[in-house]
This record gives sequence, C-alpha cells and structure tokens, in this order.
Amino acid sequence: MSESKQRWRIVFARDDDARFLSHLDAIHLWERAFRRGEVPVATSEGFSPRPRLVFAAPLPLGMLAEHELADLFLSERLTRPDLSDRLSDGMPRGYRLIDLHDEWVGGPAVATRLVAADYRMTLIGVAADRLDGAVRALLAAPALRREKRREKKVTAYDLRPLLLDLRVRPPDATAGAPDTPYLAAAGLWMRLRNSQDSGSGRADEVVAAVADELGMATVAPPGSGEAATEEEAAPGLSIEPSPGRPVLEIVRPVRERLWLADELAL
Amino acid sequence: MTTTLPPDPNRPGCDPSGPQHAPPPLPPLAVERVLGRIRKPGRYAGGEWNSVQKDWATVVLKWCFAYPDLYEIGMSNLGLRILYEVLNDRPDRLAERCFSPDVDLQTQLRSARLPLWSLETRRALRDFDVLGVSLGYELTYTNLLDMLDLSGVPLTTEERTEADPLVIAGGSSVLNPEPIADSLDAVLLGEGEEAVLEISDALERMGWHRRLGPAGEWRRGLTRADALKALARIPGVYVPSLYRPHYNSDGTFARLEPLDAEAPPQITGRIAADFETEVHGIRQLVPNIAIVFDRAQLEVMRGCTRGCRFCQAGINYRPLRERAPDVAVAAAQSILKSTGYEEIGLTSLSTADYTYVNEVATTLHRLRPQATVSLPSTRVDAFTVELVDAIVPNGRRGGFTFAPEAGSQRLRDIINKGVSDEEIARCAELAFRRGWSALKLYFMIGLPGETMDDVLAIADICLRVLQVGRRYHGGKAQVKANVSTFVPKVATPFMWSGQDTTAEIEAKVAALRKAMHGRGLDLHWSEPRSSILEAALGRGDRRLNAVVRRAWRKGAHFDAWDEHFSYERWQAAFEEEGLDPAWYAQRDIPLDEPLPWDHLGCGVTRQFLARDYRRALLGKSAADCHWGPCYNCGVPAATGFECQTGEQGPRALLVRPETGETEPGDGVAAETKLGRWRYVGPPGDPRRQGSTDGAAGRSNGAADDRAGPEAAPTSWPYNLMRTNVQSKSAGLSGLASLVEAAGGESTG
Repeated sequence: MSESKQRWRIVFARDDDARFLSHLDAIHLWERAFRRGEVPVATSEGFSPRPRLVFAAPLPLGMLAEHELADLFLSERLTRPDLSDRLSDGMPRGYRLIDLHDEWVGGPAVATRLVAADYRMTLIGVAADRLDGAVRALLAAPALRREKRREKKVTAYDLRPLLLDLRVRPPDATAGAPDTPYLAAAGLWMRLRNSQDSGSGRADEVVAAVADELGMATVAPPGSGEAATEEEAAPGLSIEPSPGRPVLEIVRPVRERLWLADELAL
Repeated sequence: MTTTLPPDPNRPGCDPSGPQHAPPPLPPLAVERVLGRIRKPGRYAGGEWNSVQKDWATVVLKWCFAYPDLYEIGMSNLGLRILYEVLNDRPDRLAERCFSPDVDLQTQLRSARLPLWSLETRRALRDFDVLGVSLGYELTYTNLLDMLDLSGVPLTTEERTEADPLVIAGGSSVLNPEPIADSLDAVLLGEGEEAVLEISDALERMGWHRRLGPAGEWRRGLTRADALKALARIPGVYVPSLYRPHYNSDGTFARLEPLDAEAPPQITGRIAADFETEVHGIRQLVPNIAIVFDRAQLEVMRGCTRGCRFCQAGINYRPLRERAPDVAVAAAQSILKSTGYEEIGLTSLSTADYTYVNEVATTLHRLRPQATVSLPSTRVDAFTVELVDAIVPNGRRGGFTFAPEAGSQRLRDIINKGVSDEEIARCAELAFRRGWSALKLYFMIGLPGETMDDVLAIADICLRVLQVGRRYHGGKAQVKANVSTFVPKVATPFMWSGQDTTAEIEAKVAALRKAMHGRGLDLHWSEPRSSILEAALGRGDRRLNAVVRRAWRKGAHFDAWDEHFSYERWQAAFEEEGLDPAWYAQRDIPLDEPLPWDHLGCGVTRQFLARDYRRALLGKSAADCHWGPCYNCGVPAATGFECQTGEQGPRALLVRPETGETEPGDGVAAETKLGRWRYVGPPGDPRRQGSTDGAAGRSNGAADDRAGPEAAPTSWPYNLMRTNVQSKSAGLSGLASLVEAAGGESTG
C-alpha cells in the first residue's frame, strides 16, 4: 500500500467510442491510462494492491455519460494542470475530462454522498403525444410493481418512489437521421433516486414500465438491459420479446449527471 | 489515442490537390440499433487505444484486415498488431480492422440489411482497396466466407469485379491455401513486415486505388486481371487464379499448370530482414474488452531449430533469428509504456531457447519491477523451471505446463521431441519443489508409428509425475493431461503420414481413460472429428473449394468451436462433391506422389522433409541443428539467408545435471553469440552479404548503428500457438485452455 497524499474528484464524460465497456472493462482501461500517463496513483492494501480509484456509480455497458464522478487518490501531490495533462496523455478516445476538484483525503466515499441521477434517451416506436399519456399515467400511479432478477432469484419492488421526475423531450438529433425517417421517435428524460440508503432506480426499468403502459415490449439494449449491465447480455437475450407486441426500443441512453447530497435537495 | 497523419505529397501516385475516395460511413443510428441487440457489442465498436482513424479523403490506398475469428482471438494475434502499425505508420496508407461477427450479429446484420463494417471508421468492407485476410487455421475458412458474404464481396475471385477489394491472404495456413484458393485473389507466403508495403506500393503505382473520373465517378485505374498479374511479380506472392490443377484418374493430384507468363512455377515465402535489430509493433492495439492474450507481446525469437517432426511453424519460420538483448529490452519498455499494460509476454516458438532470455527477463524485472513478464514456453527442462521460478511471483503459481507430446521414449524419438522420462520427472520435481502444485502435460495421440503401448505410456508418465507431486503437496498435487489428435501438417516431415481412423482414436482414448483415473489425475481430449477436418483441409487440393462453400451453405462456421461444429454437415458436403474426407486425412501418401502444395514453400526442400520422415520411421531422432550437424534443409539456398550454428554446445548445458540448478548465462558468451544470422539476400539485393553497403554490421548487431525500436517497422499475422495446441481451441471453454497454453506458467 502506498499512502494517499491527495484526492482528486474527476468529473468526466463518456462518448460513443467507449460506451460499450462494462464497469470492469472501464476500471482496467483507467488503470492502463494512469500507467501510460505516469499518474502516481496510490494503491490499496492487500495481497494484490489495486490503484485507488473509486467511482461514484458504475456506468452500465452501452450508456453514454456527461457528468460522471470518480475519486482518484495519489501517492504524491500534483498540480491541477499537471494531473490534467497526464490524464489526457493516457486516456483513449471516448473519455473526456470535464473538471478536477482537489478534495480532502479523509472525506467520505463519493458513492455514499450520491442521491440522484438524471437520464435521457430516445425511444423508437412511439410518438411524443402517446408517450406523454404514458408518462402522466406513471407519475399518477401510487405504486409501480416491478420485479428484480438477480441470478435465479426474483424479488418484487416498487419503482415509483425511486422515480423522482419523468418528462417527454424531443428525440436525439441522430434519431431523425435519413436512414430512419419512417420511425416514430420521442425523447424521454428522467430523474431517478440513486442512493446507497434508499435505493437506486434503473432507467431501463422505467422504460419497461412505460412500455407496459403502452402495451409494448422492450428490446434490452446492452446498456440498460436486464442482464446486460454485466460483461455480456444473457445468452438467451430475446430480440423479439413477445411476438405480436410492438417494440419500444431505446437508443442513445445518456446519464446526464450524478447528483451529490449538497447539490440537490430532495 | 487517435493519430491523424497528413498526406505526404512526395509519395508517388498521391495527388495532394485532389481528394481521395471517401465514401460515407454506415448510418450511425442503424449501427447503434444493431449493437443494441447483441452480446458483447464492445467487440464491434472500435475506439481502442492505439487504434488509428485516418481521414479517408487524404489517404490513397486503404486496407482492412479481416480476421476470420472472433475479436477476442484476432486481437490477441501479434502479427495483426504488427502489420497494423507498419501500414498505418505510412501517411499515404491506412489499415482498419474487422473480425468475424458472432452468430447473433450475423443474424442482425442480415435482417437489418447492413454490411459488415470496419472498426475504425465504420465503413463497409467493400469500400476498401485490399482485404488482408489472416489464414492461421483451417477451421476458420468458413468464417472467411461469412465475412465476405456479409460484406457483399463475391465468394470467388472469378465473380469479383473492380468494385470489390482484392482479397489477399497471409498466415501459417497459406503453405497450402488450395482448399480456399478460389476465394483468394492473392496469397502472401512468409513474413509480412516488408511485403505488405511492397504490395501496397505496387498496387498504388499500377493505380488499383479509386480515382475521380471525368464524370464525377470513382473508379479504379487498373483492371482486376492486371492487378493480379502485378501482384504475381512480387516475390512471395502467389496468385491462385493464374494456375490450373490437373488430377489423375485415381483422384490423385497430377500437376499445376501456370496459365500466364507472369506466374512463377515455384513461390518461396518471404523472410523479413533485420529481425535482430528492428522491432515493429511497438504501439500495440489495446482492446477495451478482455481478450484471450490480454497483455503486451514482444517476439524475442523467430523460428525454431529443434526439429519436432509434427511442427509446421518450426519449418515455416526458418531460419532462426534472435533479437539482440538490448533491442529486446528497449522494445519491451517502449511497448509497456505505449500500451499501459503491466504484463508482457516474451513470445516465440520456444522462448526458453532464446539465448538471452535470462538477461532480458531479469533486466526487465529490474527496470520495471511492477511489470509481469510471462514466458509462453513449453520446453521440458530444468532451465525453464528455474527461469519461470525467477520471474513468477510466489502467489501466482497456479499451473505449470510441459509438452512432452508423446508418452514413451521410443515415440518421442520418432517425433523428435528429445526429452527422456527421467528429464520429465526431474523437471516435474523441480516445479513441485518450487511451489507449483498442478502440472499440465500436453500429449498427442495418433502419431506416426504409435502403438497402444505408447498411448498407455502417457498414463505411466502422468502417474509417475503425480507421485513426485504427492511428496511435496500431498493430496493437493494435480496432473492434468491434455490429449489432442495428431494432425499431419504440410511442409513437415509428417505431411505424408495418414491420420488414425476415428475408431482407432476412440479406442486409444478409451484405453487412456481406463488407465488414467483417480484423485489428482485429470484427462482432457479434443473432439477427434474436427481433427479429421483439419487434416483434410490442411492436405487438401482445389476440389475442396466447392466442399468448403457447400458446407458453409449448409450452415458451417466457427468450426473450431465445439458448439458450432458439425461433422455430419461436412461429411455431407464432401459426399455431394464426390469426395471423402478420410481419403484426404487418413491416407499415407507415397513419397513420390506430386502434392497440391508443391509449388509453395518456405525454402525447406521436399527432399529434406522426406529424409527426415524416413529417419523418423526408423526411430532415429535428430539433434537441434543449431548445435548439431546441418541437415541441409535448403533454407539458405532458397532464401538468401545464411545460417551459422552455435559453437558452445547446447544451451541445456547451462543446467548442471547433477543438482538440477541453473547457472545464469554469462554475458561474455552472450556477446560472442550475437547475430548468428546474417542476411545475405537474393542476388541483386543491396543488402546482400559482400556488397559494398551490405549488412556485414548486422552480424554483430548489438554494437553498431541501429535506429532503435521506434524507427522499427513488422510480420504477417501468424499464430503464436503451436498448431496442435490450436486444435484444442474447440469450444468456448477452449478460450481458457488457450490462455493457459500460451502463458500457463505465469498466469496459472
């Protein structure tokens, strides 16, 4: 273990070139980037020491991001421009450094201070007015019963308290691209609770609830699908989930921002 | 990191004033929707560190490397990493990549009517000028057809037009590409570092790239027929369509008739000069997702002189060349720095034989103590154990791998794997004593001259090793035997030898299973019927082109993977063409029969192979020709490379046999052994030995002017794995065994 002399909060974005990484892949990618940029990362204790890099929340495979947070502990102090240069030397396409904050080394873990996350995405297969009706219905519902699957265990939970806000927005510009002019598309924005104490909502679960409301089925995209948050989606990932039901498809899911306790009052 | 390089206006044929052909990439949303419906989309997304995105409008000639296997396999290939850098280092060239799409993506592409795309700029493969195809393994031929079909490129050279790219193959299977030759416009034999640039330059000079016509249309300045003739003039390049095969009435091959004056009767593989002092593939591609060999790689030695008679690579990559130690250390450091990897494999066909392995590994360890050095070596001797012991940290000792290949001393003499039972036991003891509790032993069954006693000897040696292990680790000791079926490979002394029948193999496996059971013993064997196919395609002729296409139309692909392989499908395809896989795989071919691959070679003569085969059948082993006598294999005469044998006795003498302890190779001896290969070059080559500006200095390369690894250029994708290990790749679970095979000692 090496002593941590400095803690930097990294604010970063993830673009198309890196969106299909699992959380584990991303950790390895950052570690290699630190070695390439010769960033003096402090290491953890234990038999095989790991670089001390702590993410606020894992970013699902396939998800783009605009304001992610991670805490990086250094074994020697660097100035902001120096660290910024070293990080840019080593980071591959697809990751963008947005900001760096010098934090107190002894402060609480960033994940414990997380309260909410904002998402937006484009839904293909539905027009804005129909989507609007479904959104109103969901917000008016006293409870949204959903099922959580972990391996073979299925647990029921209520999605409604995790859904802080839900709105219809214009779709992503690329959804109107010339190759798909015939497709109805609408944008969806949501704010979900994301907290270690009171639970975290999943964007794909909200879309699944919207689809239910519309009598549609979802295609699990790799970023927000049931099994797809891990390295790969389930082998039995069904492409046409229930024949006969029209498909509601998520494209360009983006996590717009993660909110910390002192930034957002709930 | 994206490197965008400006065009060089001084390059011939590059018109800096006019834009180059730059068709649009595939529609992003269409690609995204497809990626959203498949497993592991990271395989097809690109964006890797050290991948290169160039502006198509400024680059003249565009290559795409199409690797006919999954991303995880193809990205592990060092040859691909090397050639990618060689081409992209040139401002007026561009190389992108594409790997076999898995079945789920194939379904999606077909239903979305999208073509296969390149990872870098997501353009259709048809938009490129050249598709560079790596043929490392016979069981990937159907994957190549998948890729061509999904790209809209006609499957055969006959059907292609100027709208299609040239399909040029390289790799270790090209010593006999005949069974897939209809699909290949050209084949590059041997090493690609230099040839790939020569091919590019020739194609550009002749005008194969697309140029803007008067009516605003893009068209090539060269017909396909002329392009093929131009390629045929390049040394080492074989253009199959310029030849026609003839067969005898009994079905045997008669002769190959050249159809054009440009078609040379005999083609010899290329050998890259300056291997000792120049390193290509420094800025190696670093995947975003986990792959099979997820580490940096430095090839420290090319070729092998041990002379194992089943081994194709040992013949194909002659002469043996070693990297100067300071070159290797500097290159390893640059590679680690440029990739960010913390593990580097010192690769070769037998890394323990690399003269400077000890000093390179220990110097690296001293310079970068946090980095791990791995040695994919399977030599059975104490030196190997000591070496790995010095390199691998104590906590990471999973399994240690040896490859005795055969169970009995008699059979090991036949295959020329010069190791005795005592040596195996001594090595095992040393490994167990140094902390390894599990040993993995590789064997083949079905070898020429094999009897049931030889097969059962596998069980004997495994039991003996296990007993040794029990003394150190008690019940924890483990011996895993990996048994594969012998496949006769062309260009080896065993190419004439027929394979056992399936019934014989099954009887041998059954006997072995009966003899090998109990605590601590573990036996794995591979599907024998995929070995039949491997042998049939390996020794096949052009009539098999129709069989391969037929099998592919019946749904054959990913034949190396158990869950996709169907022998019945292949059997039916052979039958419908009136052919029999057993005739190709199991027949003992008379030594005087003409062979469909006689016109292709790597410099080793058929006479030498036949002599060695006769020696094998007499049970006579042959010493490593580096230290022993020269067997006159023919490489110097055919290639212009001259070899010099070692004077100081076999390297194995570095181990004091009485104690089993090693003596580190001393630096003085190392100095004098530098540069055992001297490039003399074919007549007319300015580097030819003796010419005024010749490469005399290269023979003691460590000392003199060297541009250093950064200036260095590269090899055609070839497989680091021994061919018999490759045949074990069947099944997804095979990934794990591949990893162990290549780095088992250190990765455990």
